[in-house]
Formats: sequence, C-alpha cells, structure tokens
Amino acid sequence: MIERDDHHLRGAFEALRREDAAGTPPFQATVAAARARQAVARGRRALRLGAAVVVAVVAVVVVSTRRERDGVRLELDLATVRWQAPTDFLLKLPGDELLRSLPQLGPRGLDRRTL
Amino acid sequence: MSPADLTAELEQLHAAAFGWALSCCRWDRTAAEDVLQATYLKLLDGRARFDGRSSLRTFVFGVIARTAREARRRSTLRRWLPLASLVLGPEAVDGRPDPATALARADQTARLVRALGRLSARQRQVLHLVFYEDLTIAEAAAVAGVSVGTARTHYERGKAALRRLLEEENDRA
Repeated sequence: MIERDDHHLRGAFEALRREDAAGTPPFQATVAAARARQAVARGRRALRLGAAVVVAVVAVVVVSTRRERDGVRLELDLATVRWQAPTDFLLKLPGDELLRSLPQLGPRGLDRRTL
Repeated sequence: MSPADLTAELEQLHAAAFGWALSCCRWDRTAAEDVLQATYLKLLDGRARFDGRSSLRTFVFGVIARTAREARRRSTLRRWLPLASLVLGPEAVDGRPDPATALARADQTARLVRALGRLSARQRQVLHLVFYEDLTIAEAAAVAGVSVGTARTHYERGKAALRRLLEEENDRA
C-alpha cells in the first residue's frame, strides 16, 4: 500500500516537474535579467545615497542659519547655579548654628570667678 | 571552480533550480524568477561561495531557499512599514500562486499544488526535494538546514498528510 502510494506520489510530482520544466525561462535570459536588475539596484542605491546627503546638508544649513538669525544664545553661569536636593533638610541639626560660630575667648568671655 | 565552470554547472541545474524556486515561492512564478535571479547574482558575484562540502546541487538549492526566505521577510516588512519600499525596492514575493500559471495547470497537478500549499513549509520542502528533485532525505535535510532525523519525520508526516489532502481533493472533484 505504502509502496503503491509512494509510486502514485512520485508520478504526481513527475507530472508537476514536466509542467514546470515547460515554463522554465531560458538560463541566459535569467542571468541577463539578473545583471540588468543589479545595474538598476546600483543606480537606485546611488540615488538613495545622494538624496540622503542632500537632506543632511540642507538640514545642517537650515539649523545653522536659523541659529544665527535668531541670535538667541543660552548662556549659563555655572558658578551661580546651586542645586538643592529635596532631602537636604535631613542634614540640618538642631542648634547647628552654635557649631558654626567660635566661642569668644578673652577678658569679656571668661569669668574669673569660675576659674 | 572558475566562473565559466560555475556558469556551465548552473545552466545544467537551471530547470531543477527553477522548480525548487517555484516551490519556495509557493508557485508564484514572478517571485520564483526574482529569487532565482538574486541567487545567480549571489553565486556569480561570489557572495555565496561553494566550498565543496556538499554537492553543488545541494548548495545551490540551499542558497535558493535562503534567498526566498529573505524575500518573504522583506515582503512582510514592506506590508508593515509603509515607507519600507523606498529602501527595499519593488516587491516580488507575495506568497500566492501566479493566477496565469494556476489556470494553465492540468487538473492533477493543480490538485497536487493545492494540497502541497496546505502542508507546513518544512513538510512541503522535504517532499518536494525528495519526490520532485530526486534528492535523498540526507541531502534534503542539508538543503532545509535541519537534521536528518527531523527531515525524515517531516518526510513521513508530510507524505501521510499529502495522501489525505489528495484524497480530499479527489473527493471534491
């Protein structure tokens, strides 16, 4: 049964092969068409590259002329910028102003009676 | 292998290669011609180089299968990205049988093509390579890029499925 079925399938594929072979384009024509397609593809690639270069140049020119025309310059003086973190308050200690000033020593600061 | 020798060998293989390209493109004749042209360019320009590890026939069939896959991928991309055709060039593979070819086919072969179209891609490939191209299962495995065991499984299951589908087609007719 299997053998017979295999034979049947082989026959069906053989008929398909004969039909396909009748419609096969000639080899030389296929190679010639491939070469022609390659030339077209090369031309298209060059065209695409050229278009990309033109777009890039136009973009650079437009951006640079607009910047000059507007004359707006963003200037930042980094020395005046101070960033403060939202958690800075955690660093503040109660009475830390006492630690920032030095105690006064001298005739007015010392009480002799305590010595 | 010199370019002249390669060209002569390709000419010998041409009919079989076109049949295989047709199968890879689901019998879309235009797509198969495109795939075959792209394959010949790859081979003749040295982008796909034959290193003698397999037979030239197996190697060429492998390149055709890869080229057809690339064409299908490009076609899918083109469908999803509207401007992709500007970069990828004109479309060739649409994965449907060429209507003129389908009309011209005899009844029996038309039924076979329809039944093959309903198999999985791997089963279709392996059956085509064995029955149509007269390759061994090991050679078919090399072309399809799967192990011999996997190819044998696809072959057996594909044959069973194809017999069933052909019976269905005959009942319908």
